[in-house]
Amino acid sequence: MRESELIVRRISEGTVIDHIDEGMGLRVLGALGIDGGDGGLTTVALNVPSGKFKKKDIIKIEDRFLADDDTNKLAVIAPRATVNIIRNYKLAEKRRVSLPNEIERIFRCSNPDCITNSGREHIESVMDVIDREVLALKCRYCGRILDVSGIGRAPAAAG
Amino acid sequence: MAANSFFGRDVISVRDLDRRGLEDVFGAAERVMAMPAAERREVARGRTLGYLFYEPSTRTRLSFQAAMASLGGSSLGISDVASSSASKGESLADTVRTLSIYADALVLRHPLDGSSRFAAEVSGKPVINGGSGTEEHPTQAVQDLFTMRREKGRIDGLTVGIIGDLKYGRTVYSLLRALGNYDVKVHLASPESLRIRSDSVYDIRKRLDFTESEQMDDRVGELDVLYVTRIQKERFPDEEEYIRVKGSYVVGLDVLRRMKKGAIILHPLPRLDEISPELDGTEQARYFRQAEYGMHVRAALLALILREEGV
Ligand SMILES: Nc1ncnc2c1ncn2[C@@H]1O[C@H](COP(=O)(O)OP(=O)(O)OP(=O)(O)O)[C@@H](O)[C@H]1O
Ligand SMILES: [Mg+2]
Ligand SMILES: [Zn+2]
Repeated sequence: MRESELIVRRISEGTVIDHIDEGMGLRVLGALGIDGGDGGLTTVALNVPSGKFKKKDIIKIEDRFLADDDTNKLAVIAPRATVNIIRNYKLAEKRRVSLPNEIERIFRCSNPDCITNSGREHIESVMDVIDREVLALKCRYCGRILDVSGIGRAPAAAG
Repeated sequence: MAANSFFGRDVISVRDLDRRGLEDVFGAAERVMAMPAAERREVARGRTLGYLFYEPSTRTRLSFQAAMASLGGSSLGISDVASSSASKGESLADTVRTLSIYADALVLRHPLDGSSRFAAEVSGKPVINGGSGTEEHPTQAVQDLFTMRREKGRIDGLTVGIIGDLKYGRTVYSLLRALGNYDVKVHLASPESLRIRSDSVYDIRKRLDFTESEQMDDRVGELDVLYVTRIQKERFPDEEEYIRVKGSYVVGLDVLRRMKKGAIILHPLPRLDEISPELDGTEQARYFRQAEYGMHVRAALLALILREEGV
């Protein structure tokens, strides 16, 4: 068994998010709204060696099977992530994340005068993906364009 | 008549109005204007418009109220937020929900960008944006284009000059977006510090041919429409700078003399010193007529939103 696989124990049922860019693991948890509040067992491994000079983050969520709707929002912060569904200790399904047409919550609108930043209203940010190549997002409310190319990449790593 | 696409719909952004939609409103405005008063009073008889103004307004609110009254409907609402529970910290969402219980359609003015779209999500009734943040004032843009169409007979082919505060004036952004549906030439002139925000016109650039400079002087003779906006004192760091800049954007008789025959001057109002009152009686000055059209255009919009059969 490879080193990375020894770091966290095997799970019988659940979801393994692998190949998260180094340093983005906690943001992935935030984007998925996983804060341990539901009592489920979640293990997070940061800076797991991967290949010769690279590192990655891994998250294992027990007894939860994440659907596309949940994991596709990771496309911007962890574009290389794989989503592995584990059933009875075996890999039952492997998916890549793919960019959805809209992204809720993850990004704050950069416009301080946007209603989503008002603080008084019960409102979540919603960004429409208007350019998939350069990753341009547009606030559904105020129309401000958010350039997030680069946000998903880990800090420039050697090799 | 084809189905009325405005029925029950929100009017949040001028982006939601394509050329076809704009023409539908213009057509309805023409019909409403031509109606005998008694017939016009049947259009929205017994219906109620709710208004909610978090910022001061004279014309937008009054013209909506007058429009609703001319259709036989009534208006109720809040024009001074300090006198409502919003001053106690009630959210916009709850205030909108409440008003939408008592009214058939809502008009909202609010300082934050995106406020109208949010209001539309929580409101049980159609919401019309009466000015939100710094970028949207869709009914003003419809009014401006309708005025050009009425007073110049067409919109396509016009050369439009826009001067003044282009950075903070939300009417300008909505106007440019709306003009993007037509084949027009636009010249913008403003002090360097009040230039149009490039990130806000990012998508307009593809659809609209416009130039930018600090002076309109050498272009005045080409214009069919000179659209003047107010230079707001609060936008300047000091009084001296304001006085220096302000003077160069005042339209007086000298400018008027250099305009071509048949050219017109518009202004969204309120005006301060940027158009000299001696122009008011001239043939070129059409800004009060513009304000009058504002009422008819809003009546048309209300009629379309409230009545499936349109008007
Ligand atoms: N029962 C399990 N419990 C916990 N983690 C598991 C289990 N089975 C597989 N995994 C993890 O899920 C991920 C995908 O497993 P897989 O066997 O496809 O590895 P791989 O061949 O290295 O895949 P990849 O090419 O995506 O890296 C790995 O990180 C692996 O450690
Ligand atoms: Mg692997
Ligand atoms: Zn926004």
